[in-house]
Amino acid sequence: MTRILARSLSKKKIMTTDGKMIGTLKNIIVDFDTGMLVDLIIYPDPSFDTAGYRVDGDRLTITFDSVKDIKDYIVVDRSLARR
Amino acid sequence: MRTQITHLFGLKVYTDESVYVGEVEDVLLDVEGKKIESLIIGKVNNDLIDLKTYKGIKIPYRLIMSIADIVMIRHLQGAFREL
Repeated sequence: MTRILARSLSKKKIMTTDGKMIGTLKNIIVDFDTGMLVDLIIYPDPSFDTAGYRVDGDRLTITFDSVKDIKDYIVVDRSLARR
Repeated sequence: MRTQITHLFGLKVYTDESVYVGEVEDVLLDVEGKKIESLIIGKVNNDLIDLKTYKGIKIPYRLIMSIADIVMIRHLQGAFREL
């Protein structure tokens, strides 16, 4: 079971399951009523095509449901991240 | 209420009997469960909890009643030293 401290995630790199770099983590949106982790806020790499993703200014939002695991990288499932 | 997780850092923690517990230093995340597991509390009220050589305490998220300008947790009879 992966348990991780929130502060250690600061500026962690986010990668898709097919090996593509998305960007670096800016913040996590949580629901304080339930304690559930809702979304990842990401600064996308300039080379990353953000078409099909939720983009707000220079930030990209993907659902936490797409997160597969967090170790050295945050690995997300690209098909679940898009919407 | 949906908020950025960094909002939690530095928030003061009180029990529902208005007793100061400490300050949020970090947040422990359960990646598989996609939820907050516990809050890491520093600057702990020494009158309330005898830390001995420890530097802080962990509060499971289920003890948290609400989070806004402060974090309010349930007052646990027996867990805290009598004031």
